Amino acid sequence: MSDLFSDQTFTVSDITMLIKQTLQGAFHHISVEGEISNFRPASSGHWYFQLNDTKAALQAVMFKPKNWRVPFVPKDGDRVRVSGTISVYERRGSYQMICEQISKIGEGDILALLEQRKREFAAAGYFDPDRKRALPVFPRRICVVTSPTGAAIRDILQVLNRRNKAISIVVLPALVQGEGAAQTIASRIRMANRWRLGDILIIGRGGGSIEDLLPFSDQLVVEAVVESEIPVVSAVGHEIDWALSDYAADVRAPTPSAAAELVSRDLQEIVASLHESVRHMARTLSGRIALSRSRTALFTPQRMSEYFSRRLEQLHLQNDDLKERMTVHTRERITSMKSTLHTLSGRLDALSPLGVLDRGYAIVTRADGRTVVTRADQLKQNDHIRIQFGTGAVTATTDTILEEKNMEEEYGI
Amino acid sequence: MGFEQDITRMEEITNQLQDQATSLDESIKLFEEGVKLARKVEKGLEKIEQKVEILLNSAEDSEEEPELAPFTDES
Repeated sequence: MSDLFSDQTFTVSDITMLIKQTLQGAFHHISVEGEISNFRPASSGHWYFQLNDTKAALQAVMFKPKNWRVPFVPKDGDRVRVSGTISVYERRGSYQMICEQISKIGEGDILALLEQRKREFAAAGYFDPDRKRALPVFPRRICVVTSPTGAAIRDILQVLNRRNKAISIVVLPALVQGEGAAQTIASRIRMANRWRLGDILIIGRGGGSIEDLLPFSDQLVVEAVVESEIPVVSAVGHEIDWALSDYAADVRAPTPSAAAELVSRDLQEIVASLHESVRHMARTLSGRIALSRSRTALFTPQRMSEYFSRRLEQLHLQNDDLKERMTVHTRERITSMKSTLHTLSGRLDALSPLGVLDRGYAIVTRADGRTVVTRADQLKQNDHIRIQFGTGAVTATTDTILEEKNMEEEYGI
Repeated sequence: MGFEQDITRMEEITNQLQDQATSLDESIKLFEEGVKLARKVEKGLEKIEQKVEILLNSAEDSEEEPELAPFTDES
């Protein structure tokens, strides 16, 4: 290379430009590991820092459009892996690393480990949806396995104090990060179960690095959660954080505060719904009473007398009708009888012996005028008889009794 | 009866009140029971004070009974 440019003289700008092109072209998309020092977030939002190892230093910058997506704020001493491009800042004749991505060293390994464990636990059935139990609606006491001095317990107490003073809390102090944390958390979960210290168990902690949250993904903790007879709410870190206890628990809460909200119904809401429930019962009952009243209203004295008089009217009508029909009927009967009588009296007239007498016949009786003589042999000679004519009568004495012949023979009929 | 049972009983009563098969006499008795329950629950709730305690035993899975003391937030 020196041969190439040995007989050439550059301006500062030219040589700087050449260096820039060379560096950027050769060190495009590279990854560098190192420890952060002199971390300086600028007011513009860009991050300036230095990457070191024991022998060398590398200036680095991460501009705002890239760094706002990084889930942590680096600090001096963090061991990180950055990827990006080496660039030259001409005005100062310095080169630096323009970072595209930054991650804490080991984080990738941890994530891989967690994924591996997650698969194992899932295969063991620890995360089965059938295992999830509903939380009791009205817990009386809640156990919280967390650090007694952390943000988590403070948030939980604050929420429960505000929402529902009828719920008591037992804090089961535990280490929530570092050596021995998983053991104490698991032990506290078992202890809460052994002595039935509450109706719901919250396990959790405030936000932290992925390493800080690791105990909640530990096999010991996950198994204690799975075995817990008390329903478990897992509340680890912030919304974006997660741990395997979240998957094993009956309920995952995004934060400890949210866990406290989940386990407690607002006391004022409970009382309000009690009142509403009573009002509802009262409405239902008064509805029933109104219905019954409208039914019994049919039987008031007034209604009864109305019914009675209506019934009476009916009878009156019926009576009148019958009377009417009886009168007509009777009248008809009388007329018919009269006509019968007329006919009969006509026929009677015809049969009257007096009528016959008028036509020239006479009635012969004995002298007493009572015993009618119908046959000649009823009489002897010199019997006194009476002969009745149509008008007037005579007495007579029989002279001769003639031969016994009836009228038919006599007249030859 | 516990709080949860009381609430469940109140729900039952409400259902029975809505059931036309329940006689009016019975409805009135049920209503009285419901109102009494509601009062009891509300009074019960007023009386309960939040107790915050901390477990003192530190021995893991110890056989001794848990020892609780009032917890005060140190921060």
